[in-house]
Amino acid sequence: MNVASASEIELSEGTPKTVTSANGNIDYRTEPSSYRHWSLAFDDVVATLSMNVDENAGLKPGYKLKLNSYDLGVDIELHDAVNRVRFEHPEVRTVVVTSARDRIFCSGANIFMLGVSSHGWKVNFCKFTNETRNGLEDSSQYSGLKFLAAVNGACAGGGYELALACDEILLIDDRSSSVSLPEVPLLGVLPGTGGLTRVTDKRHVRHDLADIFCTTTEGVRGQKAKDWRLVDDIAKPAVFAGRVRERALQLAAGSDRPADGKGVSLTRVERKDEPYALRYANVTVEIDRAKRNATFTMKAPTGKQPDSIQGIEAAGVNWWPLAMARELDDAILSMRTNEVDVGTWILKTEGDAAAVLASDAVLMKHKDHWLVRETIGLIRRTFSRIDVSSRSLFALIESESCFAGSLLELALACDRTYMLALPDDADRAPKITVSDVNFGLFPMATGQSRLARRFYEEVPAVEAVRAKAGMQLDADAAFALGLVTSAPDDIDWTDEVRIALEERAAMSPDALTGMEANLRFNGTENMVTRIFGRLTAWQNWIFQRPNAVGEKGALKLYGKGEKSQFDFNRV
Amino acid sequence: MTTEVLKQHLIDPEICIRCNTCEDTCPVDAITHDSRNYVVDADICNHCMACISPCPTGSIDNWRTVLRVAAYPTADQLTWDELPKEIPLADLPVDAVALLDNNGGGELQTNAADVSLGSVVAPASASQPTVNLHGIKNFISATVSGNFRVTQLGTESDTHHIVLDFGSANFPVLEGQSLGIIPPGVDAQGRAHHARQYSIANPRDGERPGYNNVSLTVKRVTTDYDGKPVRGVASNYVCDLKKGDVVQVIGPFGSTFLMPNSAPSHILMICTGTGSAPMRAMTERRRRLRLAGRDNAGKLMLFFGARSQQELPYFGPLMNLPKDFIDINFAFSRAVNQPKRYVQDVMRERTDEVAKLLKDDNTHIYVCGLKGMEAGVLDALRDTAVTNGLDWLALHQIFRREGRLHLETY
Amino acid sequence: MQTGINYSDKIPNNVNLSEDKALQRALEHWQPNYLSWWNDMGPEGAMQHDVYLRTAVSVDPGGWAQFGHVKMPDYRWGIFMNPKEEGRTIGFGEHKGEAAWQDVPGEHRANLRRIIVTQGDTEPASVEQQRHLGLTAPSMYDLRNLFQINVEEGRHLWAMVYLLHKHFGRDGREEADALLQRNSGDADNPRILGAFNEKTPDWLAFFMFTYFTDRDGKFQLCALAESAFDPLARTTKFMLTEEAHHMFVGESGISRVIARTAAVMNELKTDDPAKIRAAGVIDLDTIQRYLNFHYSVTIDLFGADESSNAAIFYNSGLKGRFEETKRADDHQLQGQTYGVLAVQNDTLIERQVPMLNGLNEVLRDDYIKDSVGGVGRWNKVLEKAGIAFRLTVPHKAFNRKIGMLAGVKISPDGRVVSEVEFAANEKHWLPSVEDRAFVASLMHRVVEPGKFANWIAPPVMGINRQPADFDYVRFN
Repeated sequence: MNVASASEIELSEGTPKTVTSANGNIDYRTEPSSYRHWSLAFDDVVATLSMNVDENAGLKPGYKLKLNSYDLGVDIELHDAVNRVRFEHPEVRTVVVTSARDRIFCSGANIFMLGVSSHGWKVNFCKFTNETRNGLEDSSQYSGLKFLAAVNGACAGGGYELALACDEILLIDDRSSSVSLPEVPLLGVLPGTGGLTRVTDKRHVRHDLADIFCTTTEGVRGQKAKDWRLVDDIAKPAVFAGRVRERALQLAAGSDRPADGKGVSLTRVERKDEPYALRYANVTVEIDRAKRNATFTMKAPTGKQPDSIQGIEAAGVNWWPLAMARELDDAILSMRTNEVDVGTWILKTEGDAAAVLASDAVLMKHKDHWLVRETIGLIRRTFSRIDVSSRSLFALIESESCFAGSLLELALACDRTYMLALPDDADRAPKITVSDVNFGLFPMATGQSRLARRFYEEVPAVEAVRAKAGMQLDADAAFALGLVTSAPDDIDWTDEVRIALEERAAMSPDALTGMEANLRFNGTENMVTRIFGRLTAWQNWIFQRPNAVGEKGALKLYGKGEKSQFDFNRV
Repeated sequence: MTTEVLKQHLIDPEICIRCNTCEDTCPVDAITHDSRNYVVDADICNHCMACISPCPTGSIDNWRTVLRVAAYPTADQLTWDELPKEIPLADLPVDAVALLDNNGGGELQTNAADVSLGSVVAPASASQPTVNLHGIKNFISATVSGNFRVTQLGTESDTHHIVLDFGSANFPVLEGQSLGIIPPGVDAQGRAHHARQYSIANPRDGERPGYNNVSLTVKRVTTDYDGKPVRGVASNYVCDLKKGDVVQVIGPFGSTFLMPNSAPSHILMICTGTGSAPMRAMTERRRRLRLAGRDNAGKLMLFFGARSQQELPYFGPLMNLPKDFIDINFAFSRAVNQPKRYVQDVMRERTDEVAKLLKDDNTHIYVCGLKGMEAGVLDALRDTAVTNGLDWLALHQIFRREGRLHLETY
Repeated sequence: MQTGINYSDKIPNNVNLSEDKALQRALEHWQPNYLSWWNDMGPEGAMQHDVYLRTAVSVDPGGWAQFGHVKMPDYRWGIFMNPKEEGRTIGFGEHKGEAAWQDVPGEHRANLRRIIVTQGDTEPASVEQQRHLGLTAPSMYDLRNLFQINVEEGRHLWAMVYLLHKHFGRDGREEADALLQRNSGDADNPRILGAFNEKTPDWLAFFMFTYFTDRDGKFQLCALAESAFDPLARTTKFMLTEEAHHMFVGESGISRVIARTAAVMNELKTDDPAKIRAAGVIDLDTIQRYLNFHYSVTIDLFGADESSNAAIFYNSGLKGRFEETKRADDHQLQGQTYGVLAVQNDTLIERQVPMLNGLNEVLRDDYIKDSVGGVGRWNKVLEKAGIAFRLTVPHKAFNRKIGMLAGVKISPDGRVVSEVEFAANEKHWLPSVEDRAFVASLMHRVVEPGKFANWIAPPVMGINRQPADFDYVRFN
């Protein structure tokens, strides 16, 4: 098929830019001119995102990205591309996700990449791909940006999982292209990037049919795929492009993305890399590798902030909420991938709480404007990344901090919150402030606000907090409301915090990850939490087992022509 | 040095409970143990005394005078069930005794431990003393030129001020030195009485300036240590002397308990009863210098303990000394209708002034009197040091090393 | 403003208390509670006495023993640590060779707190156990020694509370409060260790307790004095100098009881317990039975013979062995084994367990060696008096309530016996009700200076070389 159009961005010639920096760290920052695997084309309300993986441009050596298979580098570009549609192209209402290759849509995560990767790498990779796919659904739900999977060739494993994350799947009916989840029969692992869950929870495929589907390597094609609800529709090759166009426009009709919005160009996030720190304009991450912790400090806006749409548009990418969220997003992704031993993140804030609250008020006032809405969306997804980060999260609320409104959300996201009490110095004593934004503007994956999560949606507790909204709460007041874990005074502070951090750092990182995930997602379940919880947990177990990764394991032997040997003991 | 004599530090295995405190405390690892005994290696022990007060039993505070070459090896000590008997001095080789004599033989009667808590050297600025001019075999005769009771009649204490005149014989003394008097006659076993030692109570230029005489402060001994009535041979002999009597004298003794000559030098004096003799000598030396226009400008501070004012020797003359010359503090333990007060109690009341002196490099401390006072006085000094932020352990060592802390108790 | 405490004066210390606000605040809260505990649970009816007590005012050899008459509630409980040894390194376990810790590592916070609380709990417990003994003191000298021990146990509590206050933040303060809230023998709030909930009913038991059980304290303190946590090591090291006095009271106390019994036996030329008892002294068989009891109860305090806690505490550097630094092994003990007792087919056998898990047993065996020595010295008293009887310590497995041997019936000579045989002999092996009643019948207060109860000989020398008739306690 031909998706080329006037505005198609060509793959860049010349020296390929790479997402690995000089120190071997993975860099999540990229831009379309650097893409190796995707192209973006725009045609009025429809954008087409075409996958054409450069098999020689894997992120790490040791594998070729054949047959439109992907690794983290491919997904970093996808993540960037979707964000550009969100912010740079407000007129786009539907994104068509398709392939630039003939007869192959996407064959999923690269098996050889998985075979040579450490368990930790695989888990982090899956987490990010999950977040990116969840992000498609998030944008569909909150921002009216719709996604159509135009499956124009073989669609296997992670490829089908990507399609599942779209609002609709249109499969080419060429008697050979199928959708499939061959992980179980072929690789001895699960379709773990949401595949199993979306087949049931989202697409409501009958469980026995799903059983057949998930144990059949060749997959299901044509009418049967539609009958089984694996795809929404099928189309013969001759009419496929037309049907894609048609469906895309129908989806677009249900969107309220503006035709006349003024896109904001996502310029490169400026980051200064130091041996022990990452520094951005509004975020600093200081890394203590010996103690295995990192301190994230978010800064409040300074100077005059816009309060009108015009002002926000003028500020563009430098508008504080957008800038802060982009920087924090990059910091989180960078720290997750590049500092895997740094097991505890300490979250701090710095600056004028009133400025944060004023900025929040502007967010609330204009929350229905597409740019503000997208910005809120970015903040929401970024905060959600914190919730699912496999790191111990401690907030330290000290003097000169500004845990108010949106930044208070960071403290509420933490496993523990320590707030300094200064009984003898009311002026310098740190305060926190709850505002409107804490009651649902940035819901967790569960759909709950973090306050509701904190109090199990018990009305008296939540209402008690709401009654204090807008007030400056010192440590004792915050403690009394249950908003902080502990309120040591200045005499105890240093030791209490030090010991808590040291104690944490000494515990099993695996047990902590499991415990924290269980405690953080403590109430309602939905499809997303089931993906991050149940499906991921099973997948992580299977990924560790000899039947997958042993010398004779299925994942290890894939493509070597040797039959895997299982330990048939059912566990 | 085959004849070097050692006060060997030993632990009494009968009393020791093997608690390991001494071994743990010893800064030089001189103390070791096996499953049976704790023992001190004489080659390592430097008599620092750090182990003495922490010992819960007192078994640590035992000493034997031995030739260094014949010191009890630890291998022997480990087999003991009890301490060996003290070998009498007489049984030690003659040379050794002579050596002891040369070191101021009189101090042999005191416990090495106690001596060693104080200085074993004289103050740097002290005059060179003459010692052992006259021994048992070449004693000197002195004539009694005066005998005065210095405590009030009717009190239990009968203390006398005795003045002896040497005529033309050579018997040079310094303040703080002592002499020995040989009582006439023999004991119950028919052996000659041994000499008794008394501190000299006058300054170097004589009891009376320019005279070749000395004075002594002697208390009549009527009870033994346990309070049983006993008639002290020498003290009764001396207290009963009459003017014109002739006595046999040996000495002078003492090469460390001497006063400094440097100016200014502060003298902190702490005494009870007849321990006042050297204090009187030093005070009088300073008074005479002052009269001669050679005031030392150093402070004099005296803590003087007795049962009561009536039993305090030289009370009257002391009271006549100018306040700007000497800071006098009395402590009476049996004063009527008064709480008991010991010198250390009064020292604690004057802790600020004592602390000032402790901080001054020119201060010299002299303690003389009954054995029982020593620990209390040292405690008071230590407490004063500690409460004033001084490191007593270090300070004590400095005082000892520099010859500025002298203890003479009996 | 808080008034409470004049720090430099009232609380002698070398931990810079006057500069340490956190510690001051913790003590402001705790110290009044301590005093009220002392008045409620301390020596009965003795708070107004002037007691000739030794007070530590500094840690140098000259400074830690200041003697003087003082009322016990006015005792200057101080906070002392041995001087810091610069550059001290950890001597054992997986951190061997690393710098000793000056702060509690968060990783070991819970275990260290537990160790300190367990040790700290025993200190006030023994004061509570002994609080009635003053009413039956056999002499003024002994009464003073009892009070000295009591105030020093109090100081040891202060030492542990200092560590809790200084290094364990809020939960440290809560634990410090709890040390005053548990009480020996209180059914609802008992002391942590069983042996510290038993009464100390009479002075023979008291001497046995101070000989045997305070020696357990010595060994625990010695093991903690090796700790990688330097403040704990330095604190316990200084406590050892005081603990030594307690053991002295026990060893010399039993020694004097034996000496007196021997003297009466020689006077009466008899070894008939009935006649000896009739003469108002304690027969040697009864002493042996008391010994059996206190010895076996005390060696239980070392804990289970195979213990994962012991292994963890050692490997992580929290608690070493007795005289760790004097031992010539690798101080890590991985892969080594140690023999512990077990019963198999009605006989005692030794089975090998990993040395790290057997460290309680290692410490117990070191303790046994040490305590046997003193029993030998008691026998010297009998030997000197020409009496053939010899005291012995019972078999390690006798009368055990903790570990593998709990519940197994073992005779004092180490035979596995039946329930029936044990029951039949129990009155010969352990103090009977009659024994205790007899000993109790001898307990009358004798407090005239220089006088001693008939059943005990005077000491060889006085405290601080004071004369025999010194008024150690002035009753007001």
